[in-house]
Amino acid sequence: MVLYFIGLGLGDEKDITVRGLEAVKGCRKVVLERYTSVLGVDKEKLEAFYGRPIIYADRETVESEAESIYESAATEDVAFLVVGDPFCATTHTDLMMRAHKLGIKVEVVHNASVMGAAASCGLQLYNFGHTVSLCLWDKEMDWTPSSFYEKVLYNRKGGMHTLCLLDIKVKEPDFAEMAKGRVRYLPPRFMTIAQAVEQLLEVETERKAGAYTKDTMAVGLARLGQPSQLIVSGTLDELITVDFGAPLHSLVIAGETHPIEEEVLAMYAITADTPRAAPPSEQTQHDESGRDGEQ
Amino acid sequence: MVNFTVDQLREMMDLKHNIRNLSVIAHVDHGKSTLTDSLVSKAGIIAAKNAGEARFTDTRQDEQDRCITIKSTGISMFFEYNMDAGEKVSRDALQAASDKAAGEETVVVEAAPIDPDAPGVITDNCYLINLIDSPGHVDFSSEVTAALRVTDGALVVVDTVDGVCVQTETVLRQAIAERVRPVLMVNKVDRALLELQLPPEDLYQAFSRAIESVNVIIATYNDELMGDVQVYPDRGTVAFGSGLHQWGFTLKKFAKMYASKFGTQEDKMMNKLWGDWYFDADNKKWIKNNNGGTLERAFCQFIMTPICKMFEAIMEEKKQKTERMLKAVGVELKTDEKDLIGKPLLKRVMQKWLPAADAVLEMIVVHLPSPVQAQKYRVENLYDGPLDDNMAQAIRTCDTSPEAPLCMYVSKMVPTSDKGRFYAFGRVFAGKIATGQRVRILGPNYVPGKKTDLWVKNIQRTIIMMGRYVEQVQDIPAGNTCGLVGVDQYLLKSGTITTDENACGLKTMKFSVSPVVRVAVEPMNSADLPKLVEGMKRLSKSDPMVLCYTEESGEHIIAGAGELHLEICLKDLQEDFMGTPVRISDPVVSYRETVSDKSSQTCLSKSPNKHNRLYMEAEPLGDGLPADIENGVLNVRDDVKVRARFLADNYGWDVTEARKIWAFGPDGTGCNILVDATKGVNYLNEIKESVNGGFGWAMGAGPLSDEQVRGVRFNLMDVVLHADAIHRGMGQIMPTARRVVYACIYQSTPSILEPVYLCEIQCPQDAMGGCYGVLTRRRGHVFAEEQKPGTPMMQLKAYLPVMESFGFTADLRSNTGGKAFPQCVFDHWQELGGNPLVPGSKANEVVLGIRKRKGLTPEIPPLDRYLDKL
Repeated sequence: MVLYFIGLGLGDEKDITVRGLEAVKGCRKVVLERYTSVLGVDKEKLEAFYGRPIIYADRETVESEAESIYESAATEDVAFLVVGDPFCATTHTDLMMRAHKLGIKVEVVHNASVMGAAASCGLQLYNFGHTVSLCLWDKEMDWTPSSFYEKVLYNRKGGMHTLCLLDIKVKEPDFAEMAKGRVRYLPPRFMTIAQAVEQLLEVETERKAGAYTKDTMAVGLARLGQPSQLIVSGTLDELITVDFGAPLHSLVIAGETHPIEEEVLAMYAITADTPRAAPPSEQTQHDESGRDGEQ
Repeated sequence: MVNFTVDQLREMMDLKHNIRNLSVIAHVDHGKSTLTDSLVSKAGIIAAKNAGEARFTDTRQDEQDRCITIKSTGISMFFEYNMDAGEKVSRDALQAASDKAAGEETVVVEAAPIDPDAPGVITDNCYLINLIDSPGHVDFSSEVTAALRVTDGALVVVDTVDGVCVQTETVLRQAIAERVRPVLMVNKVDRALLELQLPPEDLYQAFSRAIESVNVIIATYNDELMGDVQVYPDRGTVAFGSGLHQWGFTLKKFAKMYASKFGTQEDKMMNKLWGDWYFDADNKKWIKNNNGGTLERAFCQFIMTPICKMFEAIMEEKKQKTERMLKAVGVELKTDEKDLIGKPLLKRVMQKWLPAADAVLEMIVVHLPSPVQAQKYRVENLYDGPLDDNMAQAIRTCDTSPEAPLCMYVSKMVPTSDKGRFYAFGRVFAGKIATGQRVRILGPNYVPGKKTDLWVKNIQRTIIMMGRYVEQVQDIPAGNTCGLVGVDQYLLKSGTITTDENACGLKTMKFSVSPVVRVAVEPMNSADLPKLVEGMKRLSKSDPMVLCYTEESGEHIIAGAGELHLEICLKDLQEDFMGTPVRISDPVVSYRETVSDKSSQTCLSKSPNKHNRLYMEAEPLGDGLPADIENGVLNVRDDVKVRARFLADNYGWDVTEARKIWAFGPDGTGCNILVDATKGVNYLNEIKESVNGGFGWAMGAGPLSDEQVRGVRFNLMDVVLHADAIHRGMGQIMPTARRVVYACIYQSTPSILEPVYLCEIQCPQDAMGGCYGVLTRRRGHVFAEEQKPGTPMMQLKAYLPVMESFGFTADLRSNTGGKAFPQCVFDHWQELGGNPLVPGSKANEVVLGIRKRKGLTPEIPPLDRYLDKL
């Protein structure tokens, strides 16, 4: 039988391709991977549209219990739905290889990914360099990866644009608890463009190699491909002040620009109508309010 | 007893040069508490309003029933001493002067007792002595550790007859390690005189043996920064006497008397009164030999013989002789006392002639350091931050000025009358702690600059703790011990309190014993479960050592240092902290997992998304190193280069490798080491914390039995990472690091370690057979056997697996007719026979037993759960 990897696109349930939809309808088992990205609609809407019950698969299911997905593909058709494109910006190659080893036929239905859709900001895909991810920092745990900096620097030196994918944590375990042998999940968190820009600037002040400055042009992309999508261009400094709203957010740091690119950027430039937010402050405020117990 | 108002007491606390903080430490039954009693009855401070009802020595009921100290208790004492004149300040100088003139052989300065009704006047000659009486039984030595942390001096008590015993050595070693300066009290001299009837020369030999043994221990663990801390009778750092009969003396006392008689100086006289000095009366000169046996050693002639004669005269009821001698030494008896005979008379006479409190308190005041002196050299042992920062400087100088930052160490929690609440007891090392002050409370896991284990709160109340009584005061300056109200909510057992934003915590205490014996408890009535949980929390606070936790299987575990310790903890739990009885399982011991070989292959584990690979190998750390890490010989917080040098010099490590140690585990301080042996891997730093996290996790719970891992070195050989940071986050790397560590243990001939006691048994020769029998039945073996000099008692030293020690004491007593007394202290970990992975071996049996008890899967997980193939 067949294991389908089906891209769902970026927007809502209707972004699936016709071929993808036909494949889903023909499958007994439909699994939706929902940790590398999220769709703008909920599960019920998808189920109603596809006419199939959908099993949510979190990171643990896909990574640690992958057998449950591909092994059933030996006897029945299985659809593995991935938001965006199945092989862009995700790590599902392992699943495909293991299914392949078991002799299960694999078919891929592609769709739009942020890695292509980013071009909608006017910067041309031909001029993009390395794609980087910005992680949500956890200063308590000393988890402040900044290795993206070299890549941005490399891109900028070559005059290339950089697509920055911003971290999402849909169902992350609490590592402090994990070390005690317990499993507890943290509430979902998404990195905002303002957080990303702050992080970028913090790394720049630390490394001082001049990859970018607060005056470097960049484009913030929110909910790409969804009806409420928001694209705003401006300097990094300006983007901090913009309220991009609900997730997901991405950011493109511009390299050298072609006149046409500049025209599109100007179209998206920050205006008086752009929603603004108070600059985000350190959200790690310490609990000072605890009532002193009485003896 | 001395009556003071709280204000006066508080006033004394400001005289930081006149404070002495000390612990009384000794082997069990060497007479610490009795000696303390005799000091307190003479010089204890009580607030005037409590004077009528004060009974300081009255503590826990079970302590009295068992005649054993369980909790350390602090007591403040007052002593007036003129440092320049070198004598105790007497309220009635005239009387002292007249006393001096009297006497032929011996002269005594009998100070008038301080008028109990007159409140003291605080002068520069007033000394405040904060004494902590600590337990002697090994099971409670964590209490000793906590006491030593907050004191600067130690009064070491040794039984003349028993000499230095195993626990004397343990506590003395701890004292030196904490940079606490010792003075010695050779106790129970009355026993040697009355029971053993030792002649003066034999007494001298017994004394010098005890002193010699103490000095050997001190020299072994000597710390250069403290200077020479050995004890010398001729320098006044050794006192002799009887705590029970409340008499005692130092050579200084006699030297002072004889100096004028011999027309020499006091210190020169002291020299002559110890060692091989003989006085040739015919030629009126001092010689170094006994002139062919005709002369008596000066110590005997001038000190012990008079004492022996006094004993003899009184015990044989030679009334006239007694009276003559009493007159000679200037002791006047009251009318009712004259009717006494025998021991009671002896006791009274000796108390008046050689009052123990005066001798011991003088020794304490003169020879133990004040907080100001002590903190100068203790700071680097105490402070966990840079030694040149603000806080270190304030501790070093014991700064009490208004701008000095506060630093207080909370060493233990003391239960209050309010059930479930505790006073946090500790020592102020810098600044002042005041009621209402806003402070930072740093727990033991606080890391500078982070917010873990940190609370910013106001101090509810500061109190002075005197035995059972507490007195509220506005503030307490550096150099003193004090109690805090309200802090118990934030600190589990110990911690640092400071006002300086940049201050690091003080070092956590290192205990000489570990909680190796544990039991599972459950409430008799399942409705009492919440009570049990709450009770365990309180128990955990009340004892520095006890461990209370809940196993994955839902079992509630209480772990202690030994059988007795557990027994006391369980009693406290049921009677004080819960109020209802619990069902207690048979005791079980902790084990450790380790490896005995180098890995047979480089192990590989892949991250859940398969895009990251960790390659690792394991090998045993070897003998000695794990213990060095545990004992702080190798300080895990030391500078990397210092650490590397130590490992290279002592354990033959490659210096470059030793500099690439990533972590110690478990808990960042345990005795397993993770070394980065990779070459040229990009972004390695980004996963360091994740790998360390997984490593620490694995070290806390090994693969075979979920017990801690001990003494293994892991080398991270190579790493393959995904190109993007998102895909190599903690969620990917941490579990992988744990799996690869587990795989390495499987591939390096794993083994199980069991804890072993060092057991010291004292018994008469005829009971030896019984001892050997019991030990052999319990897999113990005797490795030393010696006769106590001057006694028919034998001393055996044996190793006994903790697993076999339950009921050992009772078994031994019944097999020797109650003549043998064992003292067991945790000594080392020992490999249990066989490979735990091989069914049928002893180790395998133990592992399966642990798994069953903990509710894990009955079989050991297969290797392929942890090891991945390429």
